Amino acid sequence: MPPYKIPKRVKYRKEFRRARDRKATKGNYVAFGDYGLQALEGCWLKSNVIEAGRIAAQQLLKRQGKIFIRVFPDKPVSKKPLETRMGKGKADVDYWAARVRPGTMLYELAGVPEDQAKAAMARVAMKMPVRCRFVGRRLSV
Amino acid sequence: MQEHAPLLTATRRERVGTRYSKRIREAGGLPAIIYGHGKEPVAVSVDAKKTLRHLHEGEKILQLQIEGQSEVQNVLVKDLQFDYLGTNVIHADFTRVDLEERVELKVAIHLIGEAVGLKAAGAMLMHPTNEIELECKVANIPDHVEVDISGLEAGSALHVSDIQLPLPTMKTLSDPDLIVAQIIIQAVEEEETEEAGVVADGAQPEVITEKKEGED
Repeated sequence: MPPYKIPKRVKYRKEFRRARDRKATKGNYVAFGDYGLQALEGCWLKSNVIEAGRIAAQQLLKRQGKIFIRVFPDKPVSKKPLETRMGKGKADVDYWAARVRPGTMLYELAGVPEDQAKAAMARVAMKMPVRCRFVGRRLSV
Repeated sequence: MQEHAPLLTATRRERVGTRYSKRIREAGGLPAIIYGHGKEPVAVSVDAKKTLRHLHEGEKILQLQIEGQSEVQNVLVKDLQFDYLGTNVIHADFTRVDLEERVELKVAIHLIGEAVGLKAAGAMLMHPTNEIELECKVANIPDHVEVDISGLEAGSALHVSDIQLPLPTMKTLSDPDLIVAQIIIQAVEEEETEEAGVVADGAQPEVITEKKEGED
């Protein structure tokens, strides 16, 4: 299993699940790169999946361009072990996830031509648990 | 900017709010507001297709004629609102301007030329910002500002202060030290430091509020 990112320090070990059915109001446009991969559905994106996406893009691009990861897994998700009775308090943290809303920009790419970026993002999208689309920079005034 | 700003017909919106704006969008309109010059703000709707075509062409100044009024007013596109996917424009802000007035606005930067530094192994062109903030006369608003990067070498950067503006009367408002274009060597970038988080299998983060041993 490849190493993956989790926060360095947290205020509390565990947290509530919270609502996950809202649309993105921030982090929903290409801000750093030229192209991006945008989630069209919401999910909790596991830290190992984020890393898998990064590796998938990097291997295809052969160290060309720069990849920006726009989501960070800062949400601890706890899970009770199998065949355990209910109760006895909240379970241990099973994995860390990034909260992804419909519209959230997951990855961005800079320094590569559009066709190459499209191919890389299509490869990354295969790893994602949600529907995604390839986007460019939006109209600015 | 074109010789003459494109003319659009606007309809005054009698009822404002989410529900009525949604109906306007479904009918092919674009809700907008006109304000400025000390006059009352007016909620209007314009033809979405025509307006967006002009905006995609880089138009900043439009001529608006409100239905039932003979007066044609020059407006500057001040702001655009997007939907949650960031693709569809759902609302536009127009501010009244005179052609002789000086305004502050953002203009797109177009990088031209092939940088010499890009021939180096692992070199990559980065442009952290795609626009520059300018102060200029309404009549002189450029569609974009061209920046020549042909002399840019590997490891060097081009700042806002290096940009040659089309007219001497124009003034940049962006931070002069802001990087417009930069050529970085990828090999250096590759050794990424893990600043934000720990990278370890099975490791747990430090809990700030956790009681230390010996504390009450």
